[in-house]
Amino acid sequence: MPPSIPPPDREELSRLGRGPLTRWLPLILQAPADPPDVQPFAADPETTAGRFLLRVILSVRRVTVPAALAATLWQVGEAGVPVVMGLAIDRALATGDVGQLVLWIGVLVGLYVVLTAAAKFAIQLTAYAIQLLQHRLRSTLSTGVLHPVAGGAHAPDGGVVSLMTNDVGRMSNGVQLVIMPIARVVTISFIAVSLLTTHWILGLAVLVGAPVAVWLMGVLSERLSRDTREYQGLLATTVGMATDVVAGYRVVKGIRAETEATRRYRQASQETLVGAKRNAGLLGRFLMGSGVVTGVFVAAVMGLAGWFAVDGQLSIGELIAAVGLAQALLPQIRSIANDSIPNLAGSRASSARILDALQADVAVAPEPDDAVSPVLPQLPVLEVSTPSTTIRIEPGELVGVRTDDVTAARVAEALLDPRESGGEVAVRLDGIAAGELTAREYRSRVTFSPHRVTLFSGTIRDNLTVTAAAPELVTAAVRAAACDDFAADLDLPVGEDGNRFSGGQLQRLALARALASDAPVLVLHDPTTAVDSVTEHTIAERLRAVRAGRSTLLITSSPALLSSCDRVVDLLEDAPVRVGRSS
Amino acid sequence: MSQASAALPIASGRETAREVWRLSRGHRLRLATVGVLGIVSTAVNVIPPVIIGFLVDRVRAGTADLGTVAMVTAAMVGSAALGAAGTAMTIVLATRVYHTILAGLREQLVSRAMTLPQHLVERAGTGDLISRTSDDVTAVADAAPSVIPALTVTAFTIVVSLGGLAALEWPYAVAFAVVLPVYVLVMRWYLRIGPRVYGAERAAMSARAQQILESQRGYATVLGLGLTEQRHRSVLAASWGVAVWTLRARAVGVMLNLRLNFGECLSLATVLVVGFVLIDADVSTVGAATAAMLLVLRLLGPINELVFVVDDLQSALASLSRMIGVVTIPEEAGEPSATVDAGVAVRLNGVAFRYGDGPRLFDNLTLDIPTGQRTAVVGASGAGKTTLAAVIAGIHLPEDGTVAQPGRTTLITQETHVFVGTLRDNLTLGAPTAGDDDVHAALDATGAAGLLDLLPDGLNTIVGTGGHPLTDAQAQQLALTRLLLADPELAILDEATAEAGSTHAGLLDRAADAVLHGRTGLVIAHRLSQAATCDRIVVMEQGRIIESGTHNELVAAGGVYGGLWSAWEAGRSTNNTVIDKQENKEF
Repeated sequence: MPPSIPPPDREELSRLGRGPLTRWLPLILQAPADPPDVQPFAADPETTAGRFLLRVILSVRRVTVPAALAATLWQVGEAGVPVVMGLAIDRALATGDVGQLVLWIGVLVGLYVVLTAAAKFAIQLTAYAIQLLQHRLRSTLSTGVLHPVAGGAHAPDGGVVSLMTNDVGRMSNGVQLVIMPIARVVTISFIAVSLLTTHWILGLAVLVGAPVAVWLMGVLSERLSRDTREYQGLLATTVGMATDVVAGYRVVKGIRAETEATRRYRQASQETLVGAKRNAGLLGRFLMGSGVVTGVFVAAVMGLAGWFAVDGQLSIGELIAAVGLAQALLPQIRSIANDSIPNLAGSRASSARILDALQADVAVAPEPDDAVSPVLPQLPVLEVSTPSTTIRIEPGELVGVRTDDVTAARVAEALLDPRESGGEVAVRLDGIAAGELTAREYRSRVTFSPHRVTLFSGTIRDNLTVTAAAPELVTAAVRAAACDDFAADLDLPVGEDGNRFSGGQLQRLALARALASDAPVLVLHDPTTAVDSVTEHTIAERLRAVRAGRSTLLITSSPALLSSCDRVVDLLEDAPVRVGRSS
Repeated sequence: MSQASAALPIASGRETAREVWRLSRGHRLRLATVGVLGIVSTAVNVIPPVIIGFLVDRVRAGTADLGTVAMVTAAMVGSAALGAAGTAMTIVLATRVYHTILAGLREQLVSRAMTLPQHLVERAGTGDLISRTSDDVTAVADAAPSVIPALTVTAFTIVVSLGGLAALEWPYAVAFAVVLPVYVLVMRWYLRIGPRVYGAERAAMSARAQQILESQRGYATVLGLGLTEQRHRSVLAASWGVAVWTLRARAVGVMLNLRLNFGECLSLATVLVVGFVLIDADVSTVGAATAAMLLVLRLLGPINELVFVVDDLQSALASLSRMIGVVTIPEEAGEPSATVDAGVAVRLNGVAFRYGDGPRLFDNLTLDIPTGQRTAVVGASGAGKTTLAAVIAGIHLPEDGTVAQPGRTTLITQETHVFVGTLRDNLTLGAPTAGDDDVHAALDATGAAGLLDLLPDGLNTIVGTGGHPLTDAQAQQLALTRLLLADPELAILDEATAEAGSTHAGLLDRAADAVLHGRTGLVIAHRLSQAATCDRIVVMEQGRIIESGTHNELVAAGGVYGGLWSAWEAGRSTNNTVIDKQENKEF
């Protein structure tokens, strides 16, 4: 959580930084409240990272083209400031002509109005383009990797969070490559042409010198940014370690390992400090190098201009303008070297990572769309076949399955995503293999509540109503899952990862959520392992009533739960599956 | 977040300043060098505009020749090189001191976090502490590249350039000083709105990350409950929420840019007017006006930068005061341990306890736990078993009464945590001096030696977040082995073997047995089979101890425990044989 800052109030917000004098200015390009509908980006197996980046960047041309035009106007305007000042000194100050002074101040003000307006459009359009791309990329990853409708090749790992935040951000920043560098190159050309018209050698010096300076500074910044990434990695590790130690705080306290945990952290922290010091040294070398490169460049242009002025080939005004233009070159050169080049590298790398994730998922078999969609009854017979036996759940039955953990996990996996299971466990609905049904059809019949509990941020009610069609289902489910003692107030927030509740309470909430779905076929995997035996008995007593008329499969070894079942299939007794070694 | 009173303290500006000054001990000479170097190198940077002005005047006067041009060019190259070197050295030195101080501070922070009384952390939530040791540390470290040049080079540049302007002709400096209030106003305006809009943008970003994380962690839930569409929409809504705030923040940024440009335009126009008047009155030369113009142009960049940096600086200071707030929490004086008779490991005498201002959970609770025995605590959820365990472990301090426990008391709960690092690091956390032989012996004793064969690099396997995944049961087995290595006098197991649920219960029970062997044990049990094997059973109900005795005594007495036991037996009897069978399984 970032340090808490009060959000702006409504009045301030409506002004968004416009004061009494600037209230009339229009607010452009604000985002609508609702997300726009976006099409996912295509990522065929042949696409390369570079092409993918290009496709993404070029997809918002209606925004980037005006943005590039505005940015060019802005940057050329910025470069024009020293020129206007030089001309003003030459025409007004050197002559003492008041009319000229008024004229040139007018020109200066006009220039600032134009460049400020252009900057407004350029900044706002660029931000808009970045946000549009981020949103579309995130949507692409959300349907492709995080929420595949048909189930993914495998569950996404923690990397998907970084992929959908950092990499999406970095790749979308790549869109600036078709905005700012274009504006800067045009500006450099503008400066070169202005100097060419003053004196051809000066123009040539800039045309040759600027690319050399960009290249030199690019080389200097490359080593620095590589080391900076390395240092940031070290810092992230140290910070991650602190997070880890504090997250495991109770465990550390429990075994009195405070000193040892601190000692280990200190060691990592000191390694990071070494990295930070080395990085500072490289930063110094970069600052030194780039300072010398730009200083020598300006001195050279100025020396040449001075020489021509002494020679009488240049007027005083032209001399001042030449020096001003050379100064204006510096930020352009610096930005290309320090911002655009690393941006290109960063967005390409992120493009490759995003593409990898998308292509890995493309490999999944598509839905059986040649739809001879078999007609399934609302409440079908569920059959689960393991290599040793077949469990058959007739409509309306409550069946318990006892088995070892490995088989339980396989059965659970197959029921969760029958199209992806390895084939050792087969799932059939009314005799039809689940793999032949569309994901939508399968899920409209079978709901699976996994052993590992995840609550989503929001209130208890938010969590219970994700599956429930009617409010009275929630009330019944809360009672059946014996949540009534602690969840009397359904509008209580559950906290991050449900940290407001104990493990047993979380399991009961997850059970209530599953029961509230009122699914035709409900599969519960070890739903009460963290619930105390008294409460477990209560749940076992209430389960039958709430599931009456619908099918339920309980994968559990809890005696209390099993005793409430119509039938118990005992895989341990019939055919012991031996995995691992006996101790 | 909701209970502000419970949050960990935040240091005031004065406390932060005092602590930073204390931390700078040993670096003050270097900091003084930074100051001197900064002033000298920025002064050198003022030379080029002055030289150009000089050249302009000489050319106008017709007294310049190629020698003048060569000299001027050489002086510019020299000053550029010298200025660049000085600036670089200033920043390098300042950055190194900054990071050294920060490293010291973050280490103190984690060290203090580990020794904080647990009730303080529980009340504030571990999230607060995590945010201070991670987000705040990162914020202060990340501020370095913008804050350090601002505090050293940029600030000096403004002072030195103003001096340079004054040296040219004092009215130039005065004219520029007149414009400075515009910048002060701009900065004050910006600080009023900027941080809030950016804060809202950051909050939207963490909400977005949270939504993505929840979908990822809850992948099975999302798929199994058919929530794919819903979660997709939630993630996209959070994603667009950031877009809305970012575009608002950009709008504020654009308004800042507009105001800064106004200041720039005003400064440049002022230089022109002042120059015009001065030249007209023959006080200043065209060359001096040129030099003044170039100096002002050079100043504008750093001033604009300062306005932007103030935001970074503020958020770094906010983070700093949050870190220092934890570091400066005073140490609590250790309670004198109550004296205990020989043969008694734990004595609770008239203990009263409540969480914060909540209702009393215990009132006048008295309990003795004999040395070397194994005691079980049973009761329904909410009876106060876990609180009792924490009070005995010394994690919660009683409101009234006394608690005496052995010096080396350890507690493990159902909450397992696998630390990022090697398996060896995880096991030796409570016993840093343990060698590999000790580790192997402990793994054998808890029946976890088989775990090594499942891991790619044995003891060197990286486990924890991002490392080799361990199941809940494996993590708990690891925790029990860790406890065995720590070799405490009193071991408290709070439902430590519950999570395994099904087949692993037997395995973990045996591991727990190994851990408790030969020492005093307190077991908070929810499976009665576990309690039945203990020397003594204590039954709790609503914070009171209602029965205590051996298993047989309590069953014979036919009280609450007797009732629980027969319910348990009834559920169990149908599957008795199978339960015995499953205990031979391993994962």
